[in-house]
Amino acid sequence: MGIDRRSFISLVAGGVVGSTFTPVIWKTLDDVSIWTQNWPWIPTLQYGEEQKVPALCKLGSDAYGIKIKTIAGRPVAAEGNPDHPLSLGGICPLGAASVHLMYSPSRVKNPKLKDGSSFKDISWDEAEEMLAEKIKAAGSSVAMISGDETGSVTDVLAGLVGKAGSDKSFLMPSESAPAAAALAMLGGDGQVGYDIENANYVLMLGADALGSWGNVARNGKAFSASREKGVKYIYVGPAQNGTTAVADSWIPCAAGTEPVLAMGLAAVIAESGRDRSFWPGFAAFAKFVKAAYPLDKVAEITGVSAETIKGLAGELVRAGRPLVLTAAEAGQGLGAFELAAGMSLNMLLERVNTVGGVRILPWAPSVVEAAADKKTLLASDVVAYLSAVADGGAEAPAVLMVHGANPAYALPNLTKAQAAIDKAGFVVSFSSFMDETAAMADLIMPDSYAFERLDDAYSPYGSGQPNYTVAAPVIKPVFDTKPAGDVILAVAAKADLDLGFESFEDVVKAKAEALGADFDEMVEGAAWVSEEFPAQDLALWTTPLEELSVAAADGKTLALAPVLRLKIGSAKIAIPPFNTNAIRFDEMLGNDMYVLMNAATAKNLGLNKDDAIKLAGAGGECKARLRIFEGVMNDTVVAPLGFGRTAWDEFSRGKGDNVYKLLAADIEAQTGLSRFATARVTVSKA
Amino acid sequence: MAKCKSCVVLPFLVGLVASIVLGWWGFPKVLYSQKTQPIRFDHVVHVEDQAMACEDCHAYREDGSFAGYPTNANCVGCHEDVQGEDPDEARYVAEYVQQEKEVEWLIYQKQPDNVYFSHIAHKDFDCTSCHPDVANMSTPPVYYENRLSGYSKDTMKMWQCERCHAENGASNACFVCHK
Repeated sequence: MGIDRRSFISLVAGGVVGSTFTPVIWKTLDDVSIWTQNWPWIPTLQYGEEQKVPALCKLGSDAYGIKIKTIAGRPVAAEGNPDHPLSLGGICPLGAASVHLMYSPSRVKNPKLKDGSSFKDISWDEAEEMLAEKIKAAGSSVAMISGDETGSVTDVLAGLVGKAGSDKSFLMPSESAPAAAALAMLGGDGQVGYDIENANYVLMLGADALGSWGNVARNGKAFSASREKGVKYIYVGPAQNGTTAVADSWIPCAAGTEPVLAMGLAAVIAESGRDRSFWPGFAAFAKFVKAAYPLDKVAEITGVSAETIKGLAGELVRAGRPLVLTAAEAGQGLGAFELAAGMSLNMLLERVNTVGGVRILPWAPSVVEAAADKKTLLASDVVAYLSAVADGGAEAPAVLMVHGANPAYALPNLTKAQAAIDKAGFVVSFSSFMDETAAMADLIMPDSYAFERLDDAYSPYGSGQPNYTVAAPVIKPVFDTKPAGDVILAVAAKADLDLGFESFEDVVKAKAEALGADFDEMVEGAAWVSEEFPAQDLALWTTPLEELSVAAADGKTLALAPVLRLKIGSAKIAIPPFNTNAIRFDEMLGNDMYVLMNAATAKNLGLNKDDAIKLAGAGGECKARLRIFEGVMNDTVVAPLGFGRTAWDEFSRGKGDNVYKLLAADIEAQTGLSRFATARVTVSKA
Repeated sequence: MAKCKSCVVLPFLVGLVASIVLGWWGFPKVLYSQKTQPIRFDHVVHVEDQAMACEDCHAYREDGSFAGYPTNANCVGCHEDVQGEDPDEARYVAEYVQQEKEVEWLIYQKQPDNVYFSHIAHKDFDCTSCHPDVANMSTPPVYYENRLSGYSKDTMKMWQCERCHAENGASNACFVCHK
């Protein structure tokens, strides 16, 4: 019997019918549907034990304890640390995004050497040898810039610079520097902090305490607790923000003139009530504020009515434990005189070095030989130095080392800062990320990320009591990175500069010992806290008094109010990928950022909602779009810091413009510190 | 005509039978690859000779989650160095403990990520209700991996979960398993 066409068709038909009685069709269909769930690009969960490990968040200007949730030892989320005095369970928007940043596409994954306009990968041995040789060759022509005010890595780097014979060690701008200088004007010596928890009336003169300023997580907790206690929080500033959204009231005040209001309040309070004539410095101070800051003049400069000023002064006097927090809206840029204005108001209210008032904290102990101490670092102004280098007034360093800072993005006089970096002989970045400064560097020696290294923090600015935190690594480095502290020590040894320590852990242990803290306990998550405040011999202003300089309204320009929104990033960090969804439709349009002004101001300028506009200041120009917001004072434009990145990754690069470009600094003659909080800009259609 | 009839029926029957045989016998052999565990773990030695309980390695954590397979942290208590003469133990110590590398055990009943299975909610059932009785095995069973779906042949299907839930009066609402 042969197989003909009919037989073949029967065979196939039998096979098909038979297959329906087997799992072939049904199982294949089922498995194919499951297969579509398991394509290789679909992420899969990793299972394991869940733990919560203490860590440090230094992504903003604060440095506070958080907890990292790990699964099988792998970080997956961050949350507040209820046991840490600066978190109390709270976390900031950058802390919330901190775990995801560890895997950010902008991480620098290994050491890199500039090769033309790009970088080539090199080994750690090559990088360390190269830097050691450069330092040897540079002699004392080395400089460093750190963005970490609280950590011992800064001490190690400053030690290396000091040992090389240079005094060019700098911190990035913050309010610690002018606050310390302001305290010195009152005869004090130490770090300035604020016991916000125990105040019963909090007057925030520009300080965005619940949004971005100071120990922002701790401030939020203090505010939350204050609701039941009837404590009033008053915000004074040019525009509504996250703080005004919840504060008891908002008093509109022209941008950058809050210190003038402080002087006006001081003038009213000095006139009233009790006899203070026996206070050191009071007579001269009272005479000065009475003459220089009469009510009507203060009202005209600030835009706050005389009645409101008198009312505020009365509330402060009656409050019992009032606290005045003076700051720039963006948390940096005030001069020492402006901060001294706020400080003297606290003095007048007898709120300095007392419970619920301004606290003076001891300086961090110095443990690294030859390192400039914190007080010296705060007195050295990086903006002034880089501007001088750019202008030829100071010699460009042969080696410039940058740690935890991004001076090519986050400084006033930005073009000068960039020019100075360009002029430096050899620029080394220890950044974990490809930030704007790393992109300009000759050598990148990537620091391990916050959760991959041992780190410490002593009393960040604003702390109400001395505190010290040590955080152990949560995970081994996920890329070929090394902790900067250890790398700097290794390089110093290779350059024959003995810093006295073999490992960064030894430095931290020495600091803990100097403080009387237990290293082992702190590594487990217990912060060291002290109640010892050095005695101060204060007087109401020991420096010759002078009027605060305020850029006068001229009818052509607007007052610029730069604001910091942590979700957008900070001076150290660009927009975290995790936070892009938190940037609202009224903060960005496409790749354009919005700036805010009220309808009357916009009308005066002939501008409409969503117009593409150009802001021009003494430092440079910025592009933006206009959003009308009635929570802004007349003749004021509010512009967010943090946009306009030129490096980093697709989550931040090319989005909006860099408002730092608008900021021009002038140097305070008495302190040598830069002032850039008050700027005026012209606004026109782009 | 008779000849034509046999030309139709016989091939049909041959096709039918061949298809059924291939479908039930050949298809699974093609569909599943066979794998063995990276280390031949001898349960008998541990359970009978060392009198270990299942919970010594397969424990609930403090938060009620199930630890599943043990990690090196569990094993190094005894196996930091080689204890016996089993070559697989020596290989485990050399290749995993000393290299600080976890064993990538093959999980017979691993569920997809979109299924939330709580062991502690099922603790009243015997382990062997769902799992092979490995406690009595010196060599772990062969692991059959579905070449299409990537899952183990022994991964429980949703209908099995639903049937057991129905039989035991447990809810079959979606969110019970799909969080």
